[in-house]
Amino acid sequence: MASPAIKQESTQPPDKNRHLSWLWSEYSVIIAFVVIFVLASLLNPRFLDVNNQLNILMQVSIIGIVALGMTIVMLSGGIDLSVGSVLALVGVVSILSLNATGSILLAILTAFSVGAFAGLLNGLMVAKGRIASFIATLGMMAGARSIALYIADGGSISGEVTSFTAIANSELWIIDYPIIIFLVMTSLVYVLMQKTRFGRYVYAIGSNEKAALLSTIRVDRVKIGVYSLAGLLVSVAAIIETSRLNSISSSSSGQAYELDAIAAVIIGGTRMTGGRGKVLGTFFGVLILGILNNMMNLMNVSPHLQGFVKGLIIIVAVVFQKRE
Amino acid sequence: MSGNYVLEMENIDKSFNRVPVLKQASLCLEEGEIHALLGENGAGKSTLMNILGGIFPADKGTIKVNGKQVEMIDPRTSQQLGISFIHQELNVVADLKVYENMFLGRERRNRLGLLKVEEMCRKTSEVLAGLGVEIDPKAYVRQLDASYKQLIEIAKALLQDSKIIIMDEPTTALTEHEVHRLFTLMKNLKAANVSIIYISHKLKEIQEICDRYTVLRDGKIVGSGRVADQNVTAITKMMVGKSVSEERFVHNHAAGRKMLHVTGLTSAGRFRDINFTLHAGEILGFTGLAGDGRTELFESIFGFNKTSSGSIEVEGRSVPINHPKQALQAGIGFVPKDRKENAIIKDLSVYHNMSISALSHFERMGFLQPNQEKSRFHHFKEALNIKVHDPKVTIDKLSGGNQQKVVLAKWLEVDTPILVFDNPTQGIDIGAKREIYQLIVQLAEQGKAIIILSSEVPEILKVCHTIHVMYQGEITAKLKRDQANEDEIMKYATGSKREVEHIG
Ligand SMILES: Nc1ncnc2c1ncn2[C@@H]1O[C@H](COP(=O)(O)OP(=O)(O)OP(=O)(O)O)[C@@H](O)[C@H]1O
Ligand SMILES: [Mg+2]
Repeated sequence: MASPAIKQESTQPPDKNRHLSWLWSEYSVIIAFVVIFVLASLLNPRFLDVNNQLNILMQVSIIGIVALGMTIVMLSGGIDLSVGSVLALVGVVSILSLNATGSILLAILTAFSVGAFAGLLNGLMVAKGRIASFIATLGMMAGARSIALYIADGGSISGEVTSFTAIANSELWIIDYPIIIFLVMTSLVYVLMQKTRFGRYVYAIGSNEKAALLSTIRVDRVKIGVYSLAGLLVSVAAIIETSRLNSISSSSSGQAYELDAIAAVIIGGTRMTGGRGKVLGTFFGVLILGILNNMMNLMNVSPHLQGFVKGLIIIVAVVFQKRE
Repeated sequence: MSGNYVLEMENIDKSFNRVPVLKQASLCLEEGEIHALLGENGAGKSTLMNILGGIFPADKGTIKVNGKQVEMIDPRTSQQLGISFIHQELNVVADLKVYENMFLGRERRNRLGLLKVEEMCRKTSEVLAGLGVEIDPKAYVRQLDASYKQLIEIAKALLQDSKIIIMDEPTTALTEHEVHRLFTLMKNLKAANVSIIYISHKLKEIQEICDRYTVLRDGKIVGSGRVADQNVTAITKMMVGKSVSEERFVHNHAAGRKMLHVTGLTSAGRFRDINFTLHAGEILGFTGLAGDGRTELFESIFGFNKTSSGSIEVEGRSVPINHPKQALQAGIGFVPKDRKENAIIKDLSVYHNMSISALSHFERMGFLQPNQEKSRFHHFKEALNIKVHDPKVTIDKLSGGNQQKVVLAKWLEVDTPILVFDNPTQGIDIGAKREIYQLIVQLAEQGKAIIILSSEVPEILKVCHTIHVMYQGEITAKLKRDQANEDEIMKYATGSKREVEHIG
């Protein structure tokens, strides 16, 4: 009789733990975000300053928009390494178009078409060519960067239509446009992934592609859509990036953006193999990365060490995912 | 307590998210016995076995192996105690070879640490030969039929010299022929003093092979005893709380329009020269042994695989079908077998699995309507008696049989005029099985054209108007239901007899 009684006591806490771990697995990013936010505000009083807060949002908006596309791709079970290069290419081509036509609208349309077209090619390679997304987008990464370099002759191009800079450098009340664009994009992608057929299909394909196909989902078309959409989001980010400085560098713009975007998605709790994850998770993942960068700047951590901290965070995030 | 129990599980409690699943469940296993663990879908059989296999811990209760109390910390502990586990769902790794799967985690190495590939292959062939199958040990598992995958799972468990073997529904993907091989093997194991816990919804098997039984209902033990002392009806009653009739379904069938007409369909290496016609209101059965090609045939008709020649006509019109979506648009629905691989989307909720193939039913102005999905699911929950506490959980949290019911619900929701069911009652308990066949008969009476693929001849005999027997990719017989009986079908299925009619 004694032993069951002891067992009862020893099993009570695990049950509670399991409940906690469920909470953790559902909302871990948000909890992590709150913890980091509180820590940051304790460590440095300047952190809470409204201007600093807006600054963080402003700085993450470009990566944030790219990470939204990355989330969709990764939910479908793929990965897109080409986002940084495509961003540079889109920037270069749209500035050329801007300078040639003098029309902001045409520049934006050019950006959208180049970004979506690069994404479409990625999608075709993955869906029709049955090339692993890692390989296909690695090829696109090299290819797009090379074309950008070739067009700009390895250097930067600047815009000649000054009003173009207004896109990224205006404010609504005190909030910069890029922040607003990021928030709007997040909401749109959230709705797309949670409330529409397309989103449901993406989750299904990432979870079990064969069953998705046998459920009569047009797996190929959905995948092509996924990569094209990611490309389109990259072009939105490219427009902001270009407009902010009124120029784009064919060699350094977008460099390592894929890493930051993937980091944000992983921190946000999306599973590497697809099928599981949330747009909102990525949103908070992006903010966590932003706060960390901001804190390290405020505390004068050497920029060379910042990569180390970022790497550490990614690994910790993945370890927590594994536990579940 | 009695000394000759190799295993005693006592007063096991287990809840998931505060929902109790096992309540004071106990199970004792004698040395060298085959013990049937019975119960409805969701009764808690797999859960109890998962606890024994160290997959997850019990909340309460004790486990003794050979009289010694043990803690099942993880699957490894369980294995080291001499327990091997054949899971309800297939767990083979499709991208590995047969022998690699068999020795996964227990690879044999020589002194240099290199793999002894030839030895492992030899051993693999040996064990598989014991089950009466010949598979190249170096073939990739991906290419194999579900029944072979199941046999590999079984062989894998036999490879370790275990004292206790858990078999959680090992025969759902097997044909009668293979089941008999398995039984011979189980009898040999029994003679060698190995104990087996055998879970199955097929009472015929239980009567044939098992010594004792334990019945679970809603997580509680409601009875146990010797199989020989009980008749089937009593055991069934214990399981489902009512008796289940065994007679054939009688339904009048006024053959309607020609719905599906297949001529000369051929796919190299899979099936040859397939011809048949399906009318509205008709139920056709297809059966055969493993490797008969019936699944491949209907996967092709459904546009999942390519066919090399032949034609498919739906309602008199020849339609090209190169994708499942085209099949759906032509009016063909297909409930695949082997749900874990082909039908379950394990990261989606139960609701979403039900609606995934018919999302247009739940859309308004481009947006999905969760409330409609909910109410539709509750309709099926009632109709099919799906046992689920919270349909918002992912579908892999359901018991095997209940997952299968959700898969059926998904295709009932699509509601195509032609419906192909491949092994539709895989893992479904006897009570529900009858209800599902009743439902299928009702669908036919409403004018749907239905095809059932199954290796369970008695079931096919119960519902189908005409039975097609296949052997190695060819239809060897078309039997009217009143001419057909199990023996006759077996003769055609093993290729020892062949109808001359279709050659001419
Ligand atoms: N991981 C889990 N999380 C939540 N609930 C679970 C989990 N596993 C099982 N359950 C629940 O426990 C109950 C018993 O499931 P179990 O798989 O043991 O049934 P079973 O007797 O094996 O049924 P079947 O004959 O259908 O295989 C079911 O209601 C199921 O929903
Ligand atoms: Mg089960």
